[in-house]
Amino acid sequence: MKKGMMVSGKYWLFYLVPALFFYVVFMAYPLLDSLKLSFFSGNTIGSRTFVGFDNFITLFTDPDKSTRYWEAFIHTCIFFVIHMLVQNSLGILFAVILTDRTMQHRDMYRTIIFIPTTLAVLITGYLWKLMLNPVWSGAMLEKIGLGFLAQPWLGNEKTALPLVALVSCWQWVGIPTMMFTAAFQNIPAELIEAGRMEGASSWDLFRKIKVPMIMPVVGMIAILTFVNNFNAFDVVFAMENVNGAPAYSTDLIGTLFYRVGIAGQHPVGIPDTGLGAAIATITFIVLCAGVLPTLRKTQTKEA
Amino acid sequence: MRKITILVLSLLLSVTVSSVFFSCSRKAEVKQIVLTMGSWRADDVTQMNNLLAEYKKIVPNVDIQFKPTNPSDYNATLRLQLDSGTGPDLMYARSYATGQELYDAGFFSDCTNIPGLLDNFSETNRAPWMTKDGKMFAVPFAAVSHAVYYNKDIFQKEGLAIPQTWEDFLSLCSTLQKKGYTPLANGVAEEWDILECFFLGGIVPNFVGGAAERVKYEKGEKKLNDTDFVAAYKAMADVAKYCPKGYESVTYNDSQVLFNTQKAVMFMDGSWTAGVYKDAPFQWGVFAMPAPAGRKTVICFHPDMALTMNTKTAHPEEAKAFLAWLCTKEGATTASKNLPVGYFPMIKFDITLEDPHANEFLALNSGKETDARFVWPALMDLYSPMNQAVIAVMKGSMTPQQAADSVESKKK
Repeated sequence: MKKGMMVSGKYWLFYLVPALFFYVVFMAYPLLDSLKLSFFSGNTIGSRTFVGFDNFITLFTDPDKSTRYWEAFIHTCIFFVIHMLVQNSLGILFAVILTDRTMQHRDMYRTIIFIPTTLAVLITGYLWKLMLNPVWSGAMLEKIGLGFLAQPWLGNEKTALPLVALVSCWQWVGIPTMMFTAAFQNIPAELIEAGRMEGASSWDLFRKIKVPMIMPVVGMIAILTFVNNFNAFDVVFAMENVNGAPAYSTDLIGTLFYRVGIAGQHPVGIPDTGLGAAIATITFIVLCAGVLPTLRKTQTKEA
Repeated sequence: MRKITILVLSLLLSVTVSSVFFSCSRKAEVKQIVLTMGSWRADDVTQMNNLLAEYKKIVPNVDIQFKPTNPSDYNATLRLQLDSGTGPDLMYARSYATGQELYDAGFFSDCTNIPGLLDNFSETNRAPWMTKDGKMFAVPFAAVSHAVYYNKDIFQKEGLAIPQTWEDFLSLCSTLQKKGYTPLANGVAEEWDILECFFLGGIVPNFVGGAAERVKYEKGEKKLNDTDFVAAYKAMADVAKYCPKGYESVTYNDSQVLFNTQKAVMFMDGSWTAGVYKDAPFQWGVFAMPAPAGRKTVICFHPDMALTMNTKTAHPEEAKAFLAWLCTKEGATTASKNLPVGYFPMIKFDITLEDPHANEFLALNSGKETDARFVWPALMDLYSPMNQAVIAVMKGSMTPQQAADSVESKKK
């Protein structure tokens, strides 16, 4: 005990070492290395040459590459907006319902909402792909009188991206629901009680007391949604293909990056790591630019 | 203390003895040479191991180990290995530019003077692995073919005949549709299959022509939006209505299942799928996609795999001997026996395959011109634009003329 007191100034630093080690080796170093890579051309250590900003210039001036990039960028924004609107609104709604005093069988509903989150995207994506495919679900839909729903949803350029996004919302809606539920439960009962005494309606309670109290969580969820969706890749990979079929309409920055930087375009399959790293670097900058102001705006209220 | 000394001594003794023993046993097998083989055919481990075991019977002191990578990672992984000097001794070589790039970079050996290579392979079959100045950078190993798979039971039941012209083919599709069948299993959701199997594998050779014509497009003497190509895109628009309902979201796997469960009667596909239907509960066969009336039917017989050796291998003689063996009739026959169904030897000798469907595929070639997939030899940049154009024409979002124009505009 005495010994512990003696080094009390710095001893906690040792506890950080394992985490710091893994963070540096597996997060910080690869991140910095990938930033560095974006200034080089060539795929392997031996053939790498410094090219300055050439990768970025190619990405935005080559007509084919810039079209692909900007289309992917817009699709990613749409993908993100759909998540914000559908997934997070549903999350708040579910949380309000789940924390309502009159709610019965709370645990059961909570489990149902959270189950998809625990499943692998490749599996849920594939299941939805089959369900949205008229070849497999058409007969069943016709039997129950919903034959008009048997459309090639994922093969149509107009419906593919919204549907892929909605499947992703379905899968992840459990996370915001959980976080909002926890936030609502943390609101001191006295505040609600006091509001009631003053004659506030349920809507007033929600708008004037509950929402301001959960603002830090709203900010956190917005950031999580933003970061996850700008890195999204798996759901498109599972439901469409790495080209973002049909006709690149579901091509996200994630799939574009995979095609350019990791796998290479089929069938030649020679990746351009420099260009891929350039795409990743821009995404990193976009994420920082989005996350930092949101953090500042929503997290200061905690103090 | 004494106990410890004894322990240390006995440890020392055992180490010395075992190392002496080990070096002795090494001396006894000093001639045992291990070669590694890189490949993108991760599915063929069993077949390749059988082939290599056969080779070991002939050359007992050489042990070749098959170490495949995932197909999509092969190019990148191989490049990385070669760059860092840990490349395999023997490896699969992709055809045309993708393979030649590695020869130019100094990783693939010059195979030109491997005995038998120049004599036992035709010029056409060597071309995909030949540099402009006639050097060979690999030994041709296997080709794939493309044809229409059809359900013989249904053909028999409905009294249908194999179509001889493209016009026949369309009317066959229409007849099947009227009788309530889904004529074709093909879909476009995965994109690559409609281009590689249907358009390049069946339509282009028949509407545009074989190698002699292809070269004219490569040189720019003919435009990729000429009447032949427009007709080829129109053919795709014509077959769209015979594909399954909702073909826009039908994947390659879906197509296989549709054909295998008899929900679709025909499937334009590559020979590599033949193994998938080996347990099909119905009789099936293949026929060549027919050319329009007045044109000759051309088969897309695509050079797919070749084998080559590393310039930096520690055992060049042994590696070379293996490649030379593949250039002999005996080697090629053994290799063909151990290739998966749907991969065909490219050597000149008559090799009888055991699988009846494989022979059916090969029989389609007789008396017909064959060529590689149109874009592979020199126009690989057009792969993606052409893929999108074909799908757009089928969905009706582009006219055949617009589709052809969009591809021509991307030609460099």
